[in-house]
Amino acid sequence: MQRFNFPVIQPDPALEELRGELQAFLKEERDAGNFEPEPECWMAAADPEFSKKVGKRGWIGLTWPSQYGGHDKSALERYIVTEETLRAGAPVAAHWIADRQHAPMLLAHGTEEQKLDILPRIAAGECYFAIGLSEPGAGSDLANVKTKAEKVSDGWKINGQKIWSSGAHIAHYMVALLRTSPADGRNRHVGLSQILIDLTLPGVTIKPIVDLSGDAHFNEVYFEDVIVPDDCLLGDEGGGWAQVTGELAMERSGPERFLSSYITLETAVGQLSGKMGSDSQARLGKLIASLRTLRGMSWAIANLLDRGVSPETEAALVKDLGNRLENDLTQQVRAMLTDLPSDEWSPEMRRILNIGVLRSPPNTLRGGTTEVMRGIIARQLGLR
Amino acid sequence: MINTEGMVAETATKIFTDLCPREVPHQAEAGQYPQALWDALAENGLPLAWVSEANGGFGADYDETFGAIWASAQAASPVPFAETLIANWMLDRAGLEPADGSASFALSGRTPSADIPFGMHADKIVLYDAAHHEIGLFDNRVAVRSPEEALSPDGMTQFVFSGHVAEQSAKTDLSRRGFEALILTVRAVQMAAAMEAALNLSIDYVSQREQFGRPLSKFQAIQQQLAVAASECAAATMAATQAASAIARHADDPEQAWHEAVIAKVQIGHGVEAVTVPFHQVHGAMGYTQEYDLHHYTRRLWAWRDALGNEHLWSRRLGEEMSVTSPDQIWKGVTRGDWTGDKSLAS
Repeated sequence: MQRFNFPVIQPDPALEELRGELQAFLKEERDAGNFEPEPECWMAAADPEFSKKVGKRGWIGLTWPSQYGGHDKSALERYIVTEETLRAGAPVAAHWIADRQHAPMLLAHGTEEQKLDILPRIAAGECYFAIGLSEPGAGSDLANVKTKAEKVSDGWKINGQKIWSSGAHIAHYMVALLRTSPADGRNRHVGLSQILIDLTLPGVTIKPIVDLSGDAHFNEVYFEDVIVPDDCLLGDEGGGWAQVTGELAMERSGPERFLSSYITLETAVGQLSGKMGSDSQARLGKLIASLRTLRGMSWAIANLLDRGVSPETEAALVKDLGNRLENDLTQQVRAMLTDLPSDEWSPEMRRILNIGVLRSPPNTLRGGTTEVMRGIIARQLGLR
Repeated sequence: MINTEGMVAETATKIFTDLCPREVPHQAEAGQYPQALWDALAENGLPLAWVSEANGGFGADYDETFGAIWASAQAASPVPFAETLIANWMLDRAGLEPADGSASFALSGRTPSADIPFGMHADKIVLYDAAHHEIGLFDNRVAVRSPEEALSPDGMTQFVFSGHVAEQSAKTDLSRRGFEALILTVRAVQMAAAMEAALNLSIDYVSQREQFGRPLSKFQAIQQQLAVAASECAAATMAATQAASAIARHADDPEQAWHEAVIAKVQIGHGVEAVTVPFHQVHGAMGYTQEYDLHHYTRRLWAWRDALGNEHLWSRRLGEEMSVTSPDQIWKGVTRGDWTGDKSLAS
């Protein structure tokens, strides 16, 4: 009996045509100077113009039904698109979150009107979403959210504050986890609901937070007597906790959990071609082995999800291993680059490496911290 | 996941469950060789699984046989089952009949000496001589016990050449890389299985052992250590499964599975320290005793990671090859397991 379920899934030649189209598009855009590759591009490199081009090519909303602007494709095709854009370090942050988690959420819980109104705009790369989970007092302890939605005659009245909402300053909507009724004694998981909030409504204030590198891609979002209509409640009233944990499990095993810094390695391999000493070669070999192994795990989960299985523990394993690999990769590349005098590094190498170092801390925080992931794994092992 | 279904895997699993309970590895170390276990494996023809029917074996599925190897390693079985499978497969690749009895192997050719795993219990030794593309079968009575401390409970002996003549020998058309691919993959499967078995022991131990008035498992420091180790175990199983799958797909030309096998070697070899350190740590002094079971796994892991050269050597070997290829080729390998430019998956 084996503890972990990671089937080996062979590459599907039918997906390779799509991969080729992606690669050609990304190369063309990069060669035309329309973007400069960046590590962590899915979180920090937002470019609405680029997102519209991706939407026009039909690469957003791949898995949704066509009546909502989607393309009726499988989750595996979406996987190919995400891994190729990550490899290229392309500026996909504007549409990434909406495509990954909010559109599927609307498909499952939205009204027909919402689906027809919002989903085609997401697929076109024109409509963006922000995550509304963390609050000043609710980080890893997410059930401690205090922002309230009260039932009023014309819908829900929202008061409170969300924080660390990436892209909220360019987003059109947020899906927020809110308290709609009090906790039941010590059980804080009851009384939480997910609500769709139009960020242009009166009473919404968005304030950027500047990160340590000077970028301002995450935000504080304040709600003061914001009124949203009844149908903005997504799913069941009071069922928000289960919906959120299910959603987090789905997003923890994707390629963005281990390939965010791949561009750094690829750039270094190009720089060091023919100049690598044996120490660097050993580092490269080890990195390749880890990347290949994690790709196997992540691809296996994508296939399980595609078949309707939701392996929560396996997803947590991939996130923990993958986030560690992403940060280790940047450090290994620093060591490898000692084979080349630093004044011979290309300006691009320097830029990418520095961005990679500066953007490494959130890897092991967002989407559930390393400690939370290990807690989930420990529970599955029967230790908690 | 390693395939544990099918006749070969299920037969082996039953034999190891019945005839290799936890006392057996202890007794073997005290000098009591489990002949009944070996006899049951031999009577069921399991050591001949990878011998073609033409050479007197039954040409079993690679996949299923990896399930048998998984079972043997989870039982810490102290008989040269995997070694005999490999040795007989090597003979088969040279058109020779399988060894009579148990066997072990080395890839070192006619160098002055060769390190032989399980040397004291293997009846025969199969050597691959890369310089002459030749496989030779030797009697093992001439092997000498290695003077140094063996890491593995299975022991290591040295076969010292001094004019020995092969009982049989023949040319093989398989390259050294082909032999390496299968041997590294078998070791990878054994190691992933041993890691998981040691994880299970550790979970049981911390759930029972109490300190400060509660089980160790309730301490967050313990939970986090074992969670990290568990993710290494899962990665090891993935890497081993990927290699096993490549071998099964390229049964006729195992050289095609070389990269996936080397990746498993590197991934799992580096994972050994990442799991054996926390496993021993959470066991406290108990895990360091001969009486307890943990060392049946950890000592084998320490020995197996050195077999055919350690993880550092193989990291370098893989990196050396990849450092002169293109970034596109590396990406094809990482995403599709295509390490050499397979046209059917070209992008």
